[in-house]
Amino acid sequence: MELTSPGVTTLRRDPDQAATGAGGAGGGGDAETADVALAASGDGRAFERLYRGHVARVHSLARRMIGPEAADDVTQDVFVRAWTKLATFRGEAAFGTWLHRLAINVILARRTSLGTERGRYHDGEDVLDAVPSRPVANELSLDFQEAIGRLPDGAREVFVLHDMEGYKHDEIADMLGIVPGTSKSQLHHARMALRKHLDR
Amino acid sequence: MKDQWTDRLSGYLDGDLGVAERGALEAHLAGCPACEATLDELRRVVARAQALEDQPPATDLWPAIAEQIGVSSGAHRVVSLAAHRARRRVSLTVAQLAAAAAVLLLLGSGGAYLALHRSTQDNRPLARRQTGIEPVTGTIGWVQKTSASYDSAVAELQGALEQGRNSGRLDSATVRVLTQSLVTIDSAIVQARRALAADPGSAYLNQHLADTMRRKLELLRRANTLVPART
Amino acid sequence: MLLNVAAVITLVVTQQTDTTVPVRPGMRLDVDNFGGEIVVRAWNQNAVRVQATHSSRDRIDVGVGSSTVSVKAESRRGLAQMVEYQISAPTWMEMNLHGVSTDIEVDGAQAGVTAETVNGEVKVRGGSGQLSLKSVQGAVTLQNAKGHIDVYTVNEEVTLENVSGDVTAETVSGDISLGGIESASVEVSTVSGDVHYDGTIKDGGHYRFATHNGDVSVSVPERANVTVSVATFNGDFDSCFPVSVTNTSKHRFSFTIGSGSARAELETFNGDIKLCRPGQLHDKRHNDQEDH
Repeated sequence: MELTSPGVTTLRRDPDQAATGAGGAGGGGDAETADVALAASGDGRAFERLYRGHVARVHSLARRMIGPEAADDVTQDVFVRAWTKLATFRGEAAFGTWLHRLAINVILARRTSLGTERGRYHDGEDVLDAVPSRPVANELSLDFQEAIGRLPDGAREVFVLHDMEGYKHDEIADMLGIVPGTSKSQLHHARMALRKHLDR
Repeated sequence: MKDQWTDRLSGYLDGDLGVAERGALEAHLAGCPACEATLDELRRVVARAQALEDQPPATDLWPAIAEQIGVSSGAHRVVSLAAHRARRRVSLTVAQLAAAAAVLLLLGSGGAYLALHRSTQDNRPLARRQTGIEPVTGTIGWVQKTSASYDSAVAELQGALEQGRNSGRLDSATVRVLTQSLVTIDSAIVQARRALAADPGSAYLNQHLADTMRRKLELLRRANTLVPART
Repeated sequence: MLLNVAAVITLVVTQQTDTTVPVRPGMRLDVDNFGGEIVVRAWNQNAVRVQATHSSRDRIDVGVGSSTVSVKAESRRGLAQMVEYQISAPTWMEMNLHGVSTDIEVDGAQAGVTAETVNGEVKVRGGSGQLSLKSVQGAVTLQNAKGHIDVYTVNEEVTLENVSGDVTAETVSGDISLGGIESASVEVSTVSGDVHYDGTIKDGGHYRFATHNGDVSVSVPERANVTVSVATFNGDFDSCFPVSVTNTSKHRFSFTIGSGSARAELETFNGDIKLCRPGQLHDKRHNDQEDH
């Protein structure tokens, strides 16, 4: 993809980098490679180190995608699943990338079983209306992160996946089972709604 | 401010517009300070989102994870996994099966079956619901990836399947299919083991054997979730 | 099994139930059946119509809650019910269909579908979002769908056609055939069966095709960028186009096509592995069959 427009194009796509930036503990490298191999052979301590290095990343993703109530539960699921699937991880991608993808799969599967999938893609003004449904004073003081959490499900998922996770519209469309056009319009509506919550 | 141009601002930011559309929009922006301001705000929204830092969970989730996967967490804590899992509907995803099987092996079959059963509001007597799963004595560490724990896991699950068959809870044709499938997997395991004995260093063979053994466990787990789809 | 149940049921009087209930967007359809079939056809009305053929001893219960319409049969004698459902539901309606000795068929849905049966086929045309189709003893087929796709059976084949999104497909004894796939994440495995894939290889994507007893054939589009890892113990590798192997160990080797940004793993213990261009594999398979 050529990025010739004057827009914001530095996307955070490498979860390992992000994990390093956030926690500093699990950001790839030989130590992590060794831990992955140890964990795959059943070493719980090695797996705990992997958990410590990546939990902030996974938990934040879960919190943003499906909300704080379910985030702990989903994070646990992701790591339990990672443990059982480690044998199939061959080290071709970075562990963080693999885990991140796994997390997204678990999250997307979960949101359906939570019954949150219905009515998630609103068109047009509905999306804009959904966030500022509280008194104006609160709205202005609403933390940016909280404002993301209050976006309608569909708009929030697209916003998180595109602007925070760096996925492209066609990838998001695949993941969410929508057309790329819907992903684009949801993203735009989400950004428009979030303008009000920028730090003043 | 809301017009035909506003809707294209995000596409413009992301470089999604065609050359002509971009040119037209830029021309419009030149004469529309409000549009410029909106564009700037959208750009700040994206930058703000990317600047958000990841935060760890408020409580340490490791003890619960350690317990679920059967490794020592250091600080032992009693977590009612059956209660925890029973809140969820079993939809036969691999993750849930793995977790459910972990419960099965850790807690013994009664609790496990409750956790596995789809209907969580089921109020039938426990004794009826337990049918089909052999009780487990003692606690078996889950996925230690030693062959001993693998063998016991397989034995437990096979025993459960057998009981499902004997009690008539599992349709005989289904049991036949499951048994044939197990034979298919077993012969694949035997072949992989033989090949590996001759060539112990082969990464592929090691991996393939592990994958095939995992498939067997998975099939057994799935089979046991089926046992009484109803009683 | 189905025939036996059918024979018994002819001894009792059959009855038709035909009920239509209005629904609002966002509601989900839940159907639970034991023996028989569940056929759902999507329509453009905000209503669910349930037509059921069943024993006069059973009663069809169509429950409308705030977020679901649930359909099940209630029996006065506690016997296993054998019900044939023909249901019409709105295209937007997510559905959750469960059966034991039940065939499940869905046509024209544009929302998520969960379909699980033990002894019966699952056939879904359409669908979007979370699509989870499972059987033990029965083929599973999904066509013209998109979303998160998870398909499983134990002893029959899995077929996916014109499907986009993440795909996980597994069986133990059966072929897995994927055609017209658009995906960056595909994971396919069987123990005894062939694996066939014809679809996109997207940059950065991950593709895994594994079997023990069976051939693996994969089509690689002309301009794909993929690092391919091939492993076989007893089989041969064959490619319709030249590849230059860069990395080789005893039973495994790899090579890069284009920039190599996607990963593809092709593994079979006893079978052969073939790579071709889109369209060629089908012709080749066809020719092979004619040769025999």
